[in-house]
Amino acid sequence: MKAVTDIGLLFRRYLTQLLRNPVWLVVGFSTPVLYLALFTPLLKGLVGGPGLATGNVLDLFLPGILALLAFASGTGPGFSTIFELRSGVIERFRVTPASRLAILAGPILASMLLMFCFDLVVVAVGWGLGFGVHLAGLLVLAVLLALLMATMAAFSIATALATKDISGFAALINGLNLPVLLLGGVLLPISLGPLWLRVLAHFNPLYYTVGAARVLCAGTLSGSAVWQAFAVLVPLCAVTAFWATRVVRRAVA
Amino acid sequence: MTPVIAATELRKHFPGQAGPGEGGTRRAIEAVRGISLTVAPGEIFGFLGPNGAGKTTTLRMLTTLLPIDGGTATVAGLDVRRQASQVRWHIGYVSQLGGADELATGRENLLLQGRLYGGSRAEVARRVGEMLPLFDLSGFADRRVRSYSGGQRRRLDVALGVVHQPEVLFLDEPSTGLDPQNRASLWQHIRGLRDRGTTVFLTTHYLDEADVLCDRIVIIDHGQVVAEGTPRELKQQVAGDAIVLELRDAAAAGLAATELAGQPGMRDLNTDGAIVRLYASDGPAALPGLLRRLDAAGLAARSLQLSEPSLDDVFLRQTGRSLRDAGDQGGPAADQGTAGATGVAA
Repeated sequence: MKAVTDIGLLFRRYLTQLLRNPVWLVVGFSTPVLYLALFTPLLKGLVGGPGLATGNVLDLFLPGILALLAFASGTGPGFSTIFELRSGVIERFRVTPASRLAILAGPILASMLLMFCFDLVVVAVGWGLGFGVHLAGLLVLAVLLALLMATMAAFSIATALATKDISGFAALINGLNLPVLLLGGVLLPISLGPLWLRVLAHFNPLYYTVGAARVLCAGTLSGSAVWQAFAVLVPLCAVTAFWATRVVRRAVA
Repeated sequence: MTPVIAATELRKHFPGQAGPGEGGTRRAIEAVRGISLTVAPGEIFGFLGPNGAGKTTTLRMLTTLLPIDGGTATVAGLDVRRQASQVRWHIGYVSQLGGADELATGRENLLLQGRLYGGSRAEVARRVGEMLPLFDLSGFADRRVRSYSGGQRRRLDVALGVVHQPEVLFLDEPSTGLDPQNRASLWQHIRGLRDRGTTVFLTTHYLDEADVLCDRIVIIDHGQVVAEGTPRELKQQVAGDAIVLELRDAAAAGLAATELAGQPGMRDLNTDGAIVRLYASDGPAALPGLLRRLDAAGLAARSLQLSEPSLDDVFLRQTGRSLRDAGDQGGPAADQGTAGATGVAA
């Protein structure tokens, strides 16, 4: 019971912090929209080419942007954790009887809410540009995105607590970003690549999310890509959350 | 009386790793080497030592933040190792960093903190309303913490530590970075807490802070207790007055030391560069003879200081080093350690 109250309290605290940081909000909103605006024209010429279906290029690209957004939103709480370690906030919470799970879950859920706001903007803009909206598919996709985001957030918070300083943490996250992004098939489908690349992609949770997102956005709820994504993300999220809670419990902050 | 805090043979080692907060633990394998102490209810207990002595590490073990490697500790009658989550209900802790949310207002910070300790919204709001004037925070309670001055922030930090009315408040270097006026005001607030029944455990490397504020002190160095008692008791260990002479140079200081050694009523003579330091059971009575003796030897003192023994003298006697030189870095206020000393130009 205390855990639920604490999650609520720390959720509201973190959300307030986010909303009081206008620079962060503007960047958060504009980045996905810029992706759409700047990258879509590039892809237009490729439609109908090898490995790419014909039809609106946004149907291919926008689901990838949503998955990418979930991945990127997950790194936010990690960066805040570094800052809050430095300013003593984490330590202050750890001395209180606040639930250790809440210390982790509060910020994650608040960032998640904001991520869904960004998602809505992306879908709305896409819809204006000809993206076909299938509501049921998007709702299932929302669950997947939440799982991916929570996994990434728990991972980034635990990593932040372990590395403790911004340079180490940023290097790790940035180093991870590029391979995960490319092997996720966000920008271009992995099916364009050679066999070894396609095999490697299967070790990347983002790859499954992107695959499922494309299927779901097309309105198909029961494609094998969807089941695969759930089969990968549910256990991954559970394991990461368990590990991260342990790190918070024992953290030498 | 049952102690509020009792630690027996506390130990902590960092295997070749940086100890947080204290530079000295970086090199030390054993940051805390068998510290035992007891704190009685309702006292301000000072944990005095140079930077890197193991103060913060000990504090963090007592406040459940750091696993205890060896020894036992009870706080508020609870075993810190086995009942960490219960201990947290009974203690407040203010770290060196403070840890208030900069983007939130002072009031918001206090409200959240109170609710994390399980208080209902109405209860906490009422309590915070009472606390704001008590800590002189009313005037800016609804401004964001980012805009607070150092002194205002520190008072908020302390208020955050006691919003749930804990039995024991732990303060880590509470006055670091404050100007003299704000330090004095903070001390008043800390005394106020004690007078309302809270036990206060504070670490400090400022001699005057320990001397003026604390009811009882433990002095530690290299992770071990070197002295314990009330400030008065400790200073009485160094019976007599401290005399500090500055000569022209080290050579002159050496001559002066030879000249003064073995004089009746003078003890613990040592030299440090051009400085000669010694203790006399009756300083004022000993001075004229001392000066005559120097004069006869053709030595002139550049400056002369006669003072009641300070805690620094206690530390010097126990460790052979001056507390102000022992740490990795001395804070600005460390120089105030000899406040109250009588300077006599010679």
